[in-house]
Formats: sequence, C-alpha cells, structure tokens
Amino acid sequence: MFVARSIAADHKDLIHDVSYDFHGRRMATCSSDQSVKVWDKTENGEWHCTASWKTHSGSVWRVTWAHPEFGQVLASCSFDRTAAVWEEIVGESNDKQRGLSHWIKRTTLVDSRTSVTDVKFAPKHMGLMLTTCSADGVVRIYEAPDVMNLSQWSLQHEISCKLSCSCISWNPSSSRAHPPMFAVGSDDNNVSCGGKVQIYEYNENTRKYSKAETLMTVTDAVHDIAFAPNLGRSFHVLAIATKDVRIFKLVPMRKESTSTGPTMFEVQIVAQFDNHNSQVWRVSWNITSTLLASSGDDGCVRLWKANYMDNWKCTGILKGDGSPLTGLSGQPTAMSTMMGSSVQTSQNAINGMSAGSLHAYFLL
Amino acid sequence: MEKMSRVTTALSSNSITGRTMFCHLDAPANAISVCRDATQVVVAGRNIFKIYTLEEEQFVEKLNLRVGRKPSLNFSCADVMWHQMEENLLATAATNGAVVTWNLGKPSRNKQDQLFTEHKRTVNKVCFHPTEVYMLLSGSQDGFMKCFDLRKKESVSTFSGQSESVRDVQFSMKDYFTFAASFENGNVQLWDIRRPDRYERMFTAHTGPVFCCDWHPDDRGWLATGGRDKMVKVWDMTTNRPKEIYCVQTIASVARVKWRPEKKFHLATCSMMVDHNIYVWDVRRPFIPFATFEEHKDVTTGIVWRHQHDPHFLLSGSKDSTLYQHMFKDATRPVDKANPEGLCFGLFGDLAFAAKESLISSDTNRKPYPGGDRRYPIFFFKKPDPTEQFAHVSSALSVFETDLDSNRMDWFVKTAQLYLLSGKPFAELCDHNAKVAQELKRPQVSTTWTMLRIMFSDPANLTAPGLNHNLSKLGPMPLMNSFSIKEIGPGVGTESRLERSKGESRQDNIHLDPGNSHISNNEENEETEGSEGQAEYMFIDAELDDDDLYSMEHDNQAEEQEYTLPQEAFQLRHEIIDNPSAPEHLQQDKADSPHVSGNEAEVTCLTPIESFSLISISQPLYNPHLPASFFCPIVREMLSYYAEQGDVQMAVSVLIVLGERIRKEIDDLTQEHWYMSYIDLLQRFELWNVSNEVIKLSTCSAITCLNQASTTLHINCSNCKRPMSNKGWICDRCHQCASICAVCHHVVKGLFVWCQGCSHGGHLEHIMNWLKSSAHCPAGCGHQCEYT
Repeated sequence: MFVARSIAADHKDLIHDVSYDFHGRRMATCSSDQSVKVWDKTENGEWHCTASWKTHSGSVWRVTWAHPEFGQVLASCSFDRTAAVWEEIVGESNDKQRGLSHWIKRTTLVDSRTSVTDVKFAPKHMGLMLTTCSADGVVRIYEAPDVMNLSQWSLQHEISCKLSCSCISWNPSSSRAHPPMFAVGSDDNNVSCGGKVQIYEYNENTRKYSKAETLMTVTDAVHDIAFAPNLGRSFHVLAIATKDVRIFKLVPMRKESTSTGPTMFEVQIVAQFDNHNSQVWRVSWNITSTLLASSGDDGCVRLWKANYMDNWKCTGILKGDGSPLTGLSGQPTAMSTMMGSSVQTSQNAINGMSAGSLHAYFLL
Repeated sequence: MEKMSRVTTALSSNSITGRTMFCHLDAPANAISVCRDATQVVVAGRNIFKIYTLEEEQFVEKLNLRVGRKPSLNFSCADVMWHQMEENLLATAATNGAVVTWNLGKPSRNKQDQLFTEHKRTVNKVCFHPTEVYMLLSGSQDGFMKCFDLRKKESVSTFSGQSESVRDVQFSMKDYFTFAASFENGNVQLWDIRRPDRYERMFTAHTGPVFCCDWHPDDRGWLATGGRDKMVKVWDMTTNRPKEIYCVQTIASVARVKWRPEKKFHLATCSMMVDHNIYVWDVRRPFIPFATFEEHKDVTTGIVWRHQHDPHFLLSGSKDSTLYQHMFKDATRPVDKANPEGLCFGLFGDLAFAAKESLISSDTNRKPYPGGDRRYPIFFFKKPDPTEQFAHVSSALSVFETDLDSNRMDWFVKTAQLYLLSGKPFAELCDHNAKVAQELKRPQVSTTWTMLRIMFSDPANLTAPGLNHNLSKLGPMPLMNSFSIKEIGPGVGTESRLERSKGESRQDNIHLDPGNSHISNNEENEETEGSEGQAEYMFIDAELDDDDLYSMEHDNQAEEQEYTLPQEAFQLRHEIIDNPSAPEHLQQDKADSPHVSGNEAEVTCLTPIESFSLISISQPLYNPHLPASFFCPIVREMLSYYAEQGDVQMAVSVLIVLGERIRKEIDDLTQEHWYMSYIDLLQRFELWNVSNEVIKLSTCSAITCLNQASTTLHINCSNCKRPMSNKGWICDRCHQCASICAVCHHVVKGLFVWCQGCSHGGHLEHIMNWLKSSAHCPAGCGHQCEYT
C-alpha cells in the first residue's frame, strides 16, 4: 500500500530528475527552468523546499548528491554544456527568508562541447570523483584531489564511447575483487549502431578505463541505466530503461591472475518487460536491490520484484495521477492528498526475502 | 478561424519543395539574404559574394558578383540584403565602411550600382525599407546610422545614436516611418525616419551589446532583441514604455534573431561563438528549444527563412564555408530527448516521482480514444496542435510513501538495533536473534537462526535454550574463575582502566596476526583439546576446537557479567543506541587518552581478539554427535544465498555470531565485501552505534581499521584551560583531574561532554539537563555553552 503525497514543486517547466540524498531525508529536483530545488523532510514527513536557485543557462538534466562524508554537495548537468558542483553553506546567509541554507557554486566543468546529459559521483571508496557524459559520446571522469577543496577538479579520464550518451551508472560495489566499473547508455535511435549499453572497467596496469562489455541485445535508445546496490553480491545487476525495462546480470568470470585484460562477464538477461507499452524513462532500485521501480510514457510507475527463482514479476503499479495539481497550486507546499492508489505488495517484499530455497537447508 | 486561414495561406504558398541540403562555398560566409520569390539566395563574406539558385535537390551557383582581377574592399561584405520589392536590387555593407548597391539587371559583369562611402568605420548592417523601393538604411561601427535615397548620390539623413557602435538596424513592419537600432552598450533606440535630430525612444534591453533585433512580421509591434548576455527578449513596443514580455535564455551570445513566418511565437537564433547550432524557440517556453539544426561545424553567421510565408525552410550560412537549407521536419527536437520523468527510490522505500502532467493525467488525455471517439465522427476529432502542446508544459511531483505500518525498511533498522552479535553465549545469541526476526515477521530468518543454534551448539545447551542462568552454569566454571581474577577482575573495576586498556591494546598488536594464521593452519584439529589452562596466550587457544572455543568465550562473557554487573551488557547496549553521539565521542576518547568509560570497556571485552585469551581456559564437556564442521559448507552456501538476495545484514550477523566456526570457510575478500556493504547500509540509516559495533567485531583488518582513523581528540584542562598533552586525565600543569563534572563535581566515568569554548564539561545527562534551563556554563565561567 502506497500513499501518494503530492508536492507543489512550482518548477516552471518539466522536472527531469529527482534525487534522494544518502540518508533519504533530502531530495533535489532539477528542471528545464534552469533551476534546482532542494527539499527537506520535516518530522511529520512533509517535504519543504529549503532552497531554489538558478543553476545553469539551459535545461538541467540531472542532479545528484555526493556522499555526505564530503559535505552537503550536489552536482548538476545541463543542456548548456556544463556540469556544476554546488555546496550548501549553512548559517552564513543574512537572508532570513531563504532560511539558513544557501548553495554556492564550487566549480563549473566546461570541457564538454555538447549537452551534458548525466552526472554521477563515483562510489565513495574511490574518493571524491565525478563523472559526466555528454551528447557527443564522451565520458569524463574528474577527481577532486583535495576533498576539502571542491573548487578544484582535475580531468582524469576522457573516454570516447562513439555514441551519443544519455546516462551513466557506477557499479557501487566496494569489493576489492571488483575493479571500478561504470555502464553508459546511449539514446542513439539508430538500431543498426549496435549495442547501446557499454560497460567500462578500470585497469590497474594501464591506469585507464577500457571497454569490458557491450550489451549487444540492447539496440534501442537507452534513457536510463542503474546498477543495483551491490550489498555483498559477487555479481552485478543492471537495470536498463529503453523501449522496455530490462534487467541484466553480469557475472564476473574467474580470471587468471596473470591476465591483465578487462574482466570477462557472463551476461545474462534476467528480465524484460514491455508492460509500459511505451518508452521507459527511468529505473531506480531500492536500497536492498530487491525492488526495481520503472516509469514510462504511460505515466505509471511499475514495481518489479524477483522471487527466489530469480523470476521477476510486477508487484505494483502506481498511477501518478489523482493529484489535481492545478487545483492545489494556490496552497502552500506539501499537501497530503490521500489517494487510493494502492498497491498490492506481498509481505515478502517487505521482508526483502522470499521463502523457499532455504527450506532445502532446513530439511537436512 | 484565424488559425484556419493561416494554415491555408501556408499551404497555398507551399509550392516550395525541397529537402535538407547544403553546398560548399569557397570562403566563410558573413551574411545571406534571399530574394522575394524564394528562388535565389545571395551569400556574402569577406572573400565571397555569390548568388545561388535554390533547386529542388541542390544549390546551383548562378552568379559570382565578385569580379575583377583584384577585387576591391567594396566586395568584402559584412552584411547583405536583397530588396523585397525590387528583385534586381541588392545592398551590401562593406568592411571598409562603404555601402554598396548592386543592380543585377546591369548587362556588364560588374553589377555594382551605387557606392556610398560616408561611414568612417565598418558598416555592420544594411536594411531596405520593406515597402519603399529607394530607401536604404545603414548602421555602422562609428555610431551613426544613415538613410539613403538610391536616386541620390548622398545620404539624405544621418542619425547619431550618441551611444556606441550600431549593431543592427531594422525598419518596422508596422509603422512606415519607424526603425529600430541596437547598440553595443545594450541600448535599443527607436527613430522616426523624418526626424534625424533625436530618437523617439530609447531603452536598455540587455547588459552588454545588443547584436540583433527583429520586428515581428505580423505587425504586432513586437521587437525581439538578442545580446551578448545570452538572452533573447521580446518587447512590446506599443505601450508607453517598451515592456519585456518574453525572455529566452540561450547558452551563448545571440548573434542573429529571426521570427519564424506564420508561427506567432517562434523565432530562430544563432550564436556568435562557441555554439554552432541554430535554435528555434517558442518564446512561451523559454527554457528549451523547440527545434535545433545541428549541421554546421563552425559558427553560423547568417540565418534567413526562405519564404516570408513559409515556416518550413530555413537557410543558413556559416564560417565553415557551407550554405545550408534546413527542412523543419528534419530538425532535432531537444524536447524529445528531454526526460519527462524523474524517479528515485528513497532510503525508506519511498518513491519520488516527477512526471510531465500530460502523461499522468491520462484520464483526460490519453485513455479516451485509441481508435477515435465514438461520439463524434472521426473527422471532427481535432488533433491537438503540436506547438500548442509544446508551449504549455509542467511537471507534477509526488512522493509515494509506504504505509507507516509496513514501512519497508523498518525491519532493517529494528533488526540492526535488536540483534545481539556478541556478549552472550552462542546459543543465546541465536535464540535472541531468532526471536527478533520472529517478532519482525521474518519467519525464514528466524528459522535460520534456530537452525544455526542447533547446528553449532552442543547438546547440553539445547536442553535449556535461551536461559541465561542455566547456560552460564554449564560453562567451565572453575577455570573461568581463576581466569577472571587475573584478567577480567581488574578490567571490571574502574580504578585501573589505564593499565587495562593498555594491556588490551598490547595484546591486540601482538597476537592478532599470528593467532589468526595459526588457527587457519589448524583447521583439522577438531578434537584436539589443548587447553592446559594457559590463560593469556592465544597460541594455545588456537589448538582448541574453534566451535567450542567460541561458545565458551561467550559463556565466559556471560559469566563475567553475572559476577559483577548482572544484565548490564544488555542495558548498556540500549543506552548506547539512544545516544547517537556516543560512539565517536568514546572512541576518540579512547584513542587519545586511555580513559575508557564503563560501557566502552564492556564492548572492548567483546572483540574477538580479546575473547581468545578468555577462551583458552575452556574445556569441552562432550563430543558433539556431528562435528560442527559438517555444517560449514551448508552455512556458507546459506550466507552466500542471503547476500545474493540482498540481505547482507543476515550474512554479516551470522558471520559475526558464528565467528571462527565459519570464518575460514569464506574467503577474506568476500567477508570484507559483506562487511563493507553492511556498514555502508548502517551508515545510511544513521545507525552509527551498530555500525561501530560491527566494525569492532569484524576480523578483517581492512574493516577494523575503519574506526581507527582520525580519532584524535584534543582537549583542554577544565581547570587551567591549557591543552592536555599527556595521557590520562590528570593535567600535568595544575595536577588536577580534568574530567570533573561541572554539575555534580564528581569525576566523570562514562559519557563525558565538554564545551570547546570554555573547556568545562561533565556527565552528558547532567550537562544536558543543565543547559535545558540555563544558557550559561554550569561551572560559572560565564561562557554561553550550547548543546546541539
């Protein structure tokens, strides 16, 4: 059972991205109206906009939070060909109306010559690193050598993917057995260009990222891509939003200690759903990687879950409607309109575990 | 009906056909202009001046106006304009300041007609009057505008802007006598052609130069201006003061702006540098271009709509020496690639979802008529105008929250908080954790814990599961007694913490590695009981059966607690949890000064390393029927199963509780990976205490060092305010104990809080209570302390 709480976002154009912070208590939205808004959750669960500012001179495609260890830091990327890093400063502002927090720009990354379509921080264990990808097919990896100085970023890697990039996702695994790895998706519409998802892996010897895998079966434009939280798994799970939802499993093959090439993966497609009947725009994993949410042009969010046999099924559909925002626009933020958009989710989903295979052990 | 009629005009004039095409020029173009019937285009530049005919499939060069062996500077053009009434008449603005007219009807090769050399510097712009054949206007870098009558040899009037250089001049479509001029200082002036002495109006349109302006073709008195400030602004000139009605923010300085024919709200722009694209904007939606033409490889210098009533063809010239005809249907639509939705899973299973409103209000828009509405004949079904759809767009943001009762991640937090990972006998831990899982309605996990207890406990323990007192009595009492006198006795007392924890750390350093390696070498030594009662040293311990070792260890712990502080371990755990600030504090305390608080000592006792030394005295009382190692592969598989299912919590908890029983079965990298993942999760949920406990209980060196880094805490003596340099809590200057509570004046043992401003502090509780009622330091020093 889900309860929808509609929020008067008051963005002047489309919202392109929503992003929760590490602890799930803050939210950032970005929009074509060139602004980013930060929302904080109050004690009673309402979301309040605590900051809203103009970030770019073009549509802001994505916004993302850094690990809180580095401070309250956001990165945004835009149609204006730049990515920017923002830091929240608390308490120094004299402007009482805007509250105590304000965000200042720490840096602008201007290396791209086309629209920067995605920006992501690398997993924390790699340090403070930022990755951007752009419409001309270049992935750039920046590093802040001094984590206390957010205004200094050096371009560490520039990787050409040949295809116009639309999204990027880091493999979050912190295991030493897994070298740094990211996947990049392309929104190139030309089916004949081959696989639209490429996976790059860091090579210790050459100190470069090299292509480890191309998912040749994904030939349509990819809009979003997300590695599942790893949580101690030996393999990686990748969700892809293209004309349908797909879930891939990448199982690293055993590697001889002598080989220096990239890891070979056994690529399995574990699920493929066209229930959205349209382009799928977003995929997002829950924290235990037991639930996948996807949203498509049908205006619905669908929830996917695997049973113990690794069979993925739809466990819920959330309709984004029922909140007549036009009627609410005059009121303050965060009206809780209780709506009956209920979802059947089994108890198993709550426990994040399914009964079954373990019985085999108990019968011993 | 206005719209309908416009559609038909567009259709009737749509005799123009063609496709997206281009041709190479010999040199970069500076400007282009098209003749009235849209069949020819003139391209002018520093080294080029040519006329091309627009055929259906290609551009064909018709005439090269740049003639002569050594063309004069008059041929190098900054701007060009084709007269819209007289099809043989062209004007160019030369870079040397000349204004030249060209008559294509001339029989000679050189078509040059008139030459006006009145401007002192480059002429930026020439403009014919839209209806008057002989009237030509020019704007120059020298700050003057001149009006020429082509029947005369000289200019008829000169307009001094008295601002800076003129960048653009445009005759109004609405008023016969009015023209607009834009200047480098950001101003726009309106002039009456009959009154050269003074401008009619002036306003500041942009910060920085205004490079271009364009009157709306539908004579509405709208003027679009573009500047270096990257903005395009639309002004309503009919009001008293020009009013900014739309503002489009582009990504680079705006070099040209041209209203799109037949589309009231559309205009095309191109940029002066950096950006090579041509954008078509709907001014009502100023944030995202309606269409983009991305063909040019260098700066686009001239754009012109091919026909004044046809919105589908755009011509452009560029510094990359190409001339393009763009078909509107081939344009890139950035909005198609723009993601209309945002979706993100929160930590607590809530889902933030932002979507274009037209997508989610599906009841009105989408659902109705996949095959047309039955109620109306199909031809009444009016397809919504795509441009109208484009203009009015907004997103709805909502957060889907799971019901409070079944909040998705509650189980994780509760489990993390309630699980016991150490400090009790093994069987009891299992039972406790099974109960926790049961209460959280996770029967499978609960059963797993029960199974683990059965697998790894000795039968004796099974008779009284979960009963602390019975269990501890089953433990190896005699040896335990002797041991606790030696090691634990002083540890529990509060006087000699210093020595104790020093001892601990020494032991850690010495025995950690050899102990572990030794154990792993002795995997097969299941039944060799080597306990000769050597209490302190691990090398002996390692020869013991690991399983028994471990259960004994916990027995001992329980024993110890029962001796001195019954039940304290349990209660203290909760106390820690209630005070999230505690662990760092304690930890840092520990690193710098050996003053270890009560519960800190407790937890430290529980680290596996310490337990080795306790275990050595244990003596198994029986032989298990099935060796515990029999289960190890199964348990290992089970742990992997849990990990792969995303429940790393279970994997790590079992790993810690089973300890040595299972540790050697799982390779270090995997263990480390599990620990890292679990700790990361705990930190996400801000379960710092649990996270710290897990770090302490882990045996991976990479994990245990996680809470060893940057733990130094510098403090001042509360008495003399000087920094404490040495170990311990006695200040070496004033020889007073520095850890006196400012409220109760007793020495603080346990959680000590102190103010960094005045160096006074005390018991956490006391200080908290004090500062609730008073804003000042309890020590009376007058400092305004703040507890956050």
